[in-house]
Amino acid sequence: MNAILLAILVLPLLAAGALWSIPAAIGDRLAAAYGSVISGLVLVGSVLLWPQNGGWFAYGPQDAPATEIDVAWIPSLGVRFHLGVDSISVPLIVLTALLTFLCCLYSLKITPRIGRTRSLIALLLVIEAGVIGTFSALDLVLFFVCFEIVLIPMWLVIDIWGDHHDPAGRKRAANTFVLMTVFGSALMLLGFLLVQRVAGTLDIVELTSSPVAGGHGIPLAAALLIAIGLAVKVPLWPLHIWLPDAHAKAPTVGSVLLAGVLLKLGTYGMIRILVPVLPDATATIAPYLGAFSTVAIVAGSLACLAQTDVKRLIAYSSVGHMGFIGLGISTLSPAGLRGALFANIAHGLITGLLFFLAGAIKDRHDTSDLRTIGRALYARLPRIAALLTFACLASLGLPGLAGFWGEMLVLLGAYHPAPWLPRTTFLVFMVIAGLGTVLTAAYFLRLVRNLCQGDPAENPPAAFAVDLSRIELVTWAPLITLTVLLGVWPGLLLQQWGAL
Amino acid sequence: MTLTLTWTDWQAIAVPLVLAIGAVAVLLVDSFWKSASAELRHTVVTLLTSVVILFGLVFVWAHRDDFKPAFCRPAVEGPAQCSLVFEPLTAGLWAVLLIGGLGVVGLSAYRLLAADVPIGEYHFLLLSALTGATVLAGARDLATLVIALEVVSLPSFAMVALRRDRRGSEGAMKAFLVSVLSTAVMLFGVSYLYGVTGSLYLSTIANRLTGLDPDLARVAFAAGLFVIVGFAFKIAAVPFHAWLPDTYVGAPIEVTTFLAVVSKSAGVAGLLVLVTSGIAPTGSQLRTAVAILAAVTMTVGNLAALRQVEAVRLLAWSSIGQVGFLLAPLAAGDAQAVVGYLAAYVVVTLGAFGAVAVVQRHRPGGLLTDYRGMVRSEPGLAAALIFFLVVLAGLPPGLAGLFTKFAAFQAVIDAHLGWLAIVMAVNVMIGLAVYLRWVAELFRLPADDPFSVDIETPAVTMISLCTAVAAVLSVLPSIMFALAT
Repeated sequence: MNAILLAILVLPLLAAGALWSIPAAIGDRLAAAYGSVISGLVLVGSVLLWPQNGGWFAYGPQDAPATEIDVAWIPSLGVRFHLGVDSISVPLIVLTALLTFLCCLYSLKITPRIGRTRSLIALLLVIEAGVIGTFSALDLVLFFVCFEIVLIPMWLVIDIWGDHHDPAGRKRAANTFVLMTVFGSALMLLGFLLVQRVAGTLDIVELTSSPVAGGHGIPLAAALLIAIGLAVKVPLWPLHIWLPDAHAKAPTVGSVLLAGVLLKLGTYGMIRILVPVLPDATATIAPYLGAFSTVAIVAGSLACLAQTDVKRLIAYSSVGHMGFIGLGISTLSPAGLRGALFANIAHGLITGLLFFLAGAIKDRHDTSDLRTIGRALYARLPRIAALLTFACLASLGLPGLAGFWGEMLVLLGAYHPAPWLPRTTFLVFMVIAGLGTVLTAAYFLRLVRNLCQGDPAENPPAAFAVDLSRIELVTWAPLITLTVLLGVWPGLLLQQWGAL
Repeated sequence: MTLTLTWTDWQAIAVPLVLAIGAVAVLLVDSFWKSASAELRHTVVTLLTSVVILFGLVFVWAHRDDFKPAFCRPAVEGPAQCSLVFEPLTAGLWAVLLIGGLGVVGLSAYRLLAADVPIGEYHFLLLSALTGATVLAGARDLATLVIALEVVSLPSFAMVALRRDRRGSEGAMKAFLVSVLSTAVMLFGVSYLYGVTGSLYLSTIANRLTGLDPDLARVAFAAGLFVIVGFAFKIAAVPFHAWLPDTYVGAPIEVTTFLAVVSKSAGVAGLLVLVTSGIAPTGSQLRTAVAILAAVTMTVGNLAALRQVEAVRLLAWSSIGQVGFLLAPLAAGDAQAVVGYLAAYVVVTLGAFGAVAVVQRHRPGGLLTDYRGMVRSEPGLAAALIFFLVVLAGLPPGLAGLFTKFAAFQAVIDAHLGWLAIVMAVNVMIGLAVYLRWVAELFRLPADDPFSVDIETPAVTMISLCTAVAAVLSVLPSIMFALAT
């Protein structure tokens, strides 16, 4: 198992290096197929890692995780190369591998207009390695390093392959993204160093089994710094300002990975590090975290109602959904945390699908502006419109689809927060978040009405508009299947976190 | 009346001595061997210089764990006082300085160095400055420290002016005037420190500073501040940095490399010795002064670098920002973090200037836009340059830079300088913005007139070497931190 874990980390990196060493002319033609093979192998490897035991953080010396690599790296700084996976990281790793694989597959036929596919695929593979590394790092510094690996490749993806109508805008979006994230991660690093000063170690397993006690002073400062650093990535209101531009300007595959995978790094960090390592300090800041998350739910939904650009709308909807996840984490209750974990996966699948669909619509109309696209997609592009409606329904939390369970568990968690948290406060959050679900339904239904419905006579079809192509169907089918599967059988994931 | 009995472990001064002899030898070879062709003379002189520096590196490696004092005499109280000490910290600093010097020699190979630079003088001055730099890193009394610093500085100005054109002379003049001023300020501080403590030996000063009565302690603080300000001029810490950008742009690019790598490291090494083993023991207010200097330096340097459109000016300002980052662990007194940071900085700065020199030889304008589209037209050079810039920014894949910044953060946090850590975090962001502007140009396609030439073999060798070393340091960062233990 260790070999597989190491392989799915190293393989994409080596493959990216190999791809860059091929001449551009050949590389551009072969890149997508090559990337599909590599990321397909990684996907197979990640599925093989799926843990047999349902434990979570349970491991002390008596039940160490089956898959664990632990070697000294920089002894003088106390940094170890410590990797391992358990039941909360494996589903996210599989999600990462799946989305990267689908992005490569999609690039077989559909690539951004500027070309340079070789570099695009290579960068996607580097991003994949960085994200998987973050999800499997069990040393705080290794976590930080992997967290940062993703930044420059994603910056390049937005800056080079972003919206070709708006070079200045995509450059600004890329810079805002990378600079805000780097500042956040530097603050997070300060928090890690404070933890090290108090606890004397950077090892997450050790820190989890003997957490840093105390809810004020240095532990509180550490928790605040880590929370702010991760909140930039999540992104939590009001630190979300980089997100709409980055998602809107990025190419389709960039948006899919950004929304589907990169945002999860923040929430995963909270669940993996903040909650178990600094339990007392997290309890101190939890009500504030909950409050900001609740504001994010409402503010994100209200912003969606005002959007006229389909990609920006989906981007803002991510702010709202990530707010739910933040709220779930802040309840510190089993239901809330499980809801957050579940919503992480569900959001990755559904928003990935939504961005694929938005990209498809954008490619067909050469704009993502709702007014220019016009209405009556049901008549013009019936299959794509139907899928968009399906994805919107999934995203707004229709029971029976994946989006429902996470948010319901989060609300349940807010109803019964951890006993040491102020219950009344969380009841208020629950009510407001409940209203947020109504707002979510409102803007998604508005989107469906404005885009899909309408009189076909008033909205003549674009000449080149082809309905669902084969490659699109192949790429999206796994996302649709999993959305339905997790909707009707949430236990598939939830039982993983049984020993919560 | 003290007994003027002194003793010396001659091995401690073997390296500076050999460097000095080498300097004279190089000058003699060049002046008395006029019959040889320019290429042959250049090659022989380069080889001679390299051998001398390599001797130093071998010596440092062989004696890395030794302790060798020189020019010692018994003290009235405490252990013996020595003017020069070779210890593990010295070994680490010498290694960094000598590697920097060797890199500059490599980048000044035949065809790389401009033909109008007199080759014998160039290497003579370079070795003289290295002599001063090594003495400076081992110095343990204020007189030796000041003299060594002058031995580093004076050859540097001469090197800036070697081409004898207007820009070079202007740059040299600026640097010279600032240096004279800073020496005066420093000597003023030194005289007061001597007056207050009655000694020039750092160890004795450190001992006596602790028991000083409050009035004298205030004088000692002011005197220490003057000495630090003197050093701040030399390493171009803000607000004593104004001379640096013009000097960097005015000098031949190999000399600029030398200034950025060897002179700067020497200054930091001297300041490190001064602060950690002399005038600013743990808890001293002077450390706070250094911390403030660090914060201002990194912020101003990075902000100014953000607006530059010329490659060398950008590197000049960003080197000010890097000095700010070096001063941060220095203020915390963490020698290991400082030396590690210096090691990474030296290697990638050599590489970056080497790459800039390649482009500048063909496009003298030196604008950032000259680099447009290089990932396609010159993939190897572009990849190396991107790697160097990313190390300077401290982001993956430049793990050497990331971990040295990490060590700096660790030192600052452990010294309870939380505010400085926040300033550093902000500067990580600004610094990234600086280097990404350049990286973006390299990636921009399609380019109208992409840069593409046959790169000279020695330049290829040097840049590849720097890349390889930086890559090794990225995978095994413990090497850097083992330099000073």
